[in-house]
Amino acid sequence: MRDHFSSSHPLIQAIYFVAVLIFSMLFMHPVFQLLALTAAAAYVLLLKGRRAVRFLLLGMVPLLLLAAVLNPAFNHAGVTILFYLRSGNPVTLESLLYGVAAACTFVTVIIWFSCLHVVMTSDKWVYLLGRILPALSLLLTMSLRFVPRYVEQAKRISAAQRCIGRDVTQGNWLVRARNGMTILSILTTWALENAMETADSMKARGYGLPGRTSFSLFRWGTRDSRLLLTLLLLLGIVGLGAAAGENTIRFFPSILYPDITWRSMTVYTAYGLLCSLPLLLNGWEEWRWRSTVSAS
Amino acid sequence: MSRRTLWSAAIILVIIPATIWAGIYLLNDRRYYFVSLLIILYTMIPFALIFERRKPQARELIAIAVMASLAVAGRAAFFMLPQFKPVTAIVIIAGVSLGAEAGFLVGALAGFVSNFFFGQGPWTPWQMFCFGLIGFLAGLIFRRRDKLPTRSVLCVFGGLATLVIYGGIINFGSHLMFSPQFSWEILATVYISGFWFDLVHAAATVFFLLVLARPMLEKLERVKTKYGLIQEKS
Amino acid sequence: MAIYRIRELSFSFPEQGAPALAHIDLNIMTGEFLTLCGRSGSGKSTLLRQLKPVLTPHGRREGEILYAGEPLASVDARRQAAEIGFVQQSADNSVVTDKVWHELAFGLESLGIDQQTIRLRVAEMASFFGIQHWFHAAVSELSGGQRQLLQLASVMAMQPSVLILDEPTSQLDPIAALDFLGTLARINRELGTTIILTEHRLEEVLPITDRLVVMEHGRIVADGAPLKAAEELRRLQHPMFRAMPSAVRIHAGVGSKLVTPLTVRDGRGWLLAHLAEEQVAPAGSGQHEGASSQTRSETAAARDVNPDAGVVAKQALVPALRFRDVWFRYEKHGADVLKRLSFDVQPGQLYAILGGNGAGKSTTLSLAAGLLRPYRGQVRVEGRDPAKVRPKELFHGGLAVLPQQPQTLFVQKTVALELTDMLRDSKLDEQARQDRIQEVIAFAELEDLLDQHPYDLSGGEQQRAALAKVLLLEPKILLLDEPTKGLDAFFKEKLADLLRRLQAKGVTVVLVSHDIEFCASYADRCALCFDGAMIAEGAVREFFAGSSFYTTAANRIARDLWREAVSVEDVIRHCQEETTR
Repeated sequence: MRDHFSSSHPLIQAIYFVAVLIFSMLFMHPVFQLLALTAAAAYVLLLKGRRAVRFLLLGMVPLLLLAAVLNPAFNHAGVTILFYLRSGNPVTLESLLYGVAAACTFVTVIIWFSCLHVVMTSDKWVYLLGRILPALSLLLTMSLRFVPRYVEQAKRISAAQRCIGRDVTQGNWLVRARNGMTILSILTTWALENAMETADSMKARGYGLPGRTSFSLFRWGTRDSRLLLTLLLLLGIVGLGAAAGENTIRFFPSILYPDITWRSMTVYTAYGLLCSLPLLLNGWEEWRWRSTVSAS
Repeated sequence: MSRRTLWSAAIILVIIPATIWAGIYLLNDRRYYFVSLLIILYTMIPFALIFERRKPQARELIAIAVMASLAVAGRAAFFMLPQFKPVTAIVIIAGVSLGAEAGFLVGALAGFVSNFFFGQGPWTPWQMFCFGLIGFLAGLIFRRRDKLPTRSVLCVFGGLATLVIYGGIINFGSHLMFSPQFSWEILATVYISGFWFDLVHAAATVFFLLVLARPMLEKLERVKTKYGLIQEKS
Repeated sequence: MAIYRIRELSFSFPEQGAPALAHIDLNIMTGEFLTLCGRSGSGKSTLLRQLKPVLTPHGRREGEILYAGEPLASVDARRQAAEIGFVQQSADNSVVTDKVWHELAFGLESLGIDQQTIRLRVAEMASFFGIQHWFHAAVSELSGGQRQLLQLASVMAMQPSVLILDEPTSQLDPIAALDFLGTLARINRELGTTIILTEHRLEEVLPITDRLVVMEHGRIVADGAPLKAAEELRRLQHPMFRAMPSAVRIHAGVGSKLVTPLTVRDGRGWLLAHLAEEQVAPAGSGQHEGASSQTRSETAAARDVNPDAGVVAKQALVPALRFRDVWFRYEKHGADVLKRLSFDVQPGQLYAILGGNGAGKSTTLSLAAGLLRPYRGQVRVEGRDPAKVRPKELFHGGLAVLPQQPQTLFVQKTVALELTDMLRDSKLDEQARQDRIQEVIAFAELEDLLDQHPYDLSGGEQQRAALAKVLLLEPKILLLDEPTKGLDAFFKEKLADLLRRLQAKGVTVVLVSHDIEFCASYADRCALCFDGAMIAEGAVREFFAGSSFYTTAANRIARDLWREAVSVEDVIRHCQEETTR
């Protein structure tokens, strides 16, 4: 399915991902965690479809369990003792729940990153970096061009070497490693010598003149302004809520979290909306499209 | 005092303590992770700013991009030995040949770019920092331009750097990512469980340096003299 | 008005005796389409680089260059960058960024132009060059031709008043090269941009050229309109004359007094006129001509030594290379690349496989080398399945492959070390190794290049060094992938000579190529690969007599009269026979 959030301005996407990543790492409160985890999982499903199901079930669920078990094995604080380990250390309810919360954080962050990997394509990084650090942005785009080229050349070299009887797919590991080194060595010479022509090409097109600008295809539209306003509003509410302590939870020695009030409900809603902003946007665009098509 | 020293001084004396203070008083459970992450980002900032300020020439950019891309694409040359990754070795070679600053940039860029192909994650900044630091140290230690370092010295450095710096920092980072509270017990477990992995990584680096360092350094020297790649900086 | 005035320009590289350029005097006019030719090392590229100061190599220079009336060195750097466009040989090397749109904007970014203007210029260029469809693509997804077009477009986006191109089509296949040259002609015609070009494909480029400048040993030996310059070369009996278009060479060989033709079209008209002048050509209808040429071709075929005659006797032997109903695809659900491909190469033949891009030529080569395996059908190298033979055995004293990029074989610092390295795992003793190495050095004429770094050699020399390397394996069958790519006419002749000598030693040579002229001149048998199968196959003459478009320029000029006349020499011989009859 096509993701509409991906077509918004990269700055919006960057703010969104930085916000949800930081909040997901900071907030240990179960309501906040559940909201973030659900939104992240839903978004990755929307972005990746069937591949995401495998990623969630085979990758993330075991990781969640592992992380959840790890904590109580090392952390013995808390007042509600469930049972004793063979070593004589107690396993407490608090440390168990704490483990679950920590695991949840970790998994949510990984899922957010996997969304980010799809949405924030390399050209957006190049663009965002280009605004603040143009030389590094150029380094990035050059590397992104070189890597696939070198991989392809490595394959060509490998085939050519095989044809003179130096095969990297056969023989013991030492022979293979030696032949691999040969490939890398040939690749290095080739890359360095040819790169000088690339430098010439940059100079020929005026690289190094003062006052270089940074061009991009991304344009700020009305939708981006609206998204930014929404984003800032939600961020403000969640930030105020966090300052008021709505997001905190105490695990040790006993679990303690703030009561549910209308104020906390507002912060929950704002956080839920923030995390699912791309989902809501997609729903909205879908509805708009349908109504446009049926109207015509 | 050079600009880099000023920046470093400012960061070490003011910003880092401020961050630690803020972390302790403002953040509860996640303070360890955030504070360490921010410190890592701070250390990268001066390199970025100085590089930008200097307005690097085309050939210098090219040299850094080529070495970083080689480090990433080098994996493709070793597709049949997946546990053998030449990244660290190439970053060290780049540091030795191109200098400390370029070494840092090659390392950090290689870490960043490789994650474009293998997936970004919370580990990205840590990797960038580790590779960058290794390249930087290689450049600092093997500073003498008139003579290339001997193979054995390079190998010892490579092995130690991989085991201590890369293994040390990455494992520390993954502990903080995995479990919010710092605990010596968990850290020890992470180190022990990761030890063999780190050892293979270190062995691979030593092996790569043993075989590749000499020819690659010579190749770099050749293009440096043939094309006047990087002018000697006083 | 002259855009460049070059006065008494001499240039020599540091630590080299002979000057690379000596006393060059040249005025280049605004709007001119100037082609510079000469063999490798004649100083063409050095001269081009003098015209773009940021690319000028270090060295000692005398004389002066004026750009639009000002000394070139004092022209503002920004103006130089924008007004003097430079396109390099390898698009792969010159593209800097990873996205097409970004590459188009690269030069404009350097000039510090604002977003709005860049947007407009990029859009203009994309439409002019027909790039809209791959505007958002990653550079790594493009074909070679598209990449070269991208390089051109990204230079043109800066709106240069002069465009300098250094062998821009040498890495392209013929179709992409024609497209590229067509685009250049359009730029020259529609935008009035001055074009200065070095090029080996004179057959294609001279018809669109205003002025041809020929260089030799750093000097200009001929300068003028293409036909005038060609005439000058002929008068001097200069070796570069052999690189001139077929029509010009036929005209000269026949010694006609009529106006010299340049293109195939003019050549056809001229040939008829010439024969009419000599009053020998049948002055009847086209029908009649066709019929008479039919009879002639039969007699000619009977007269020619049948190239298959020797082979028929050997037919009973095991073929050197045999493909039987070979099917191949790269991915399980992908499209078939080879479809029931069959052919035999007899021992000692020089066999050429022609075909366009994606026809399956290179795949065929990989299958023959055992790098790939067919999912149906048989591939046999001297009766053995190459994919099952251990590479060590297959590639020692059996099969050898000269890759398309000789650079994929170079590991060492000097050519001599390259050769020694090749025998590092050999069981021969030291003396025998030295003997073998000396033998290939003499064979490939590498004596003067032994101490050089492989990357400092020219394209043709690199190829000879690579060939020497694979010959150390003493192959019985040699496979070559696009061996003439990027070579000038002289290196091609040299290569042909080497291949001939190998053949004389009993080596079977199989090459895949786009280069019709080369295959027509030197192969024994040719095959045309299309859509994964061999569409046509035969001895050279019968093969080219059978196709009407996919054939040499000389054949296209004379095919209505003498169908089997493939090379320039064939046509000249026929002409002379006709006129003396």
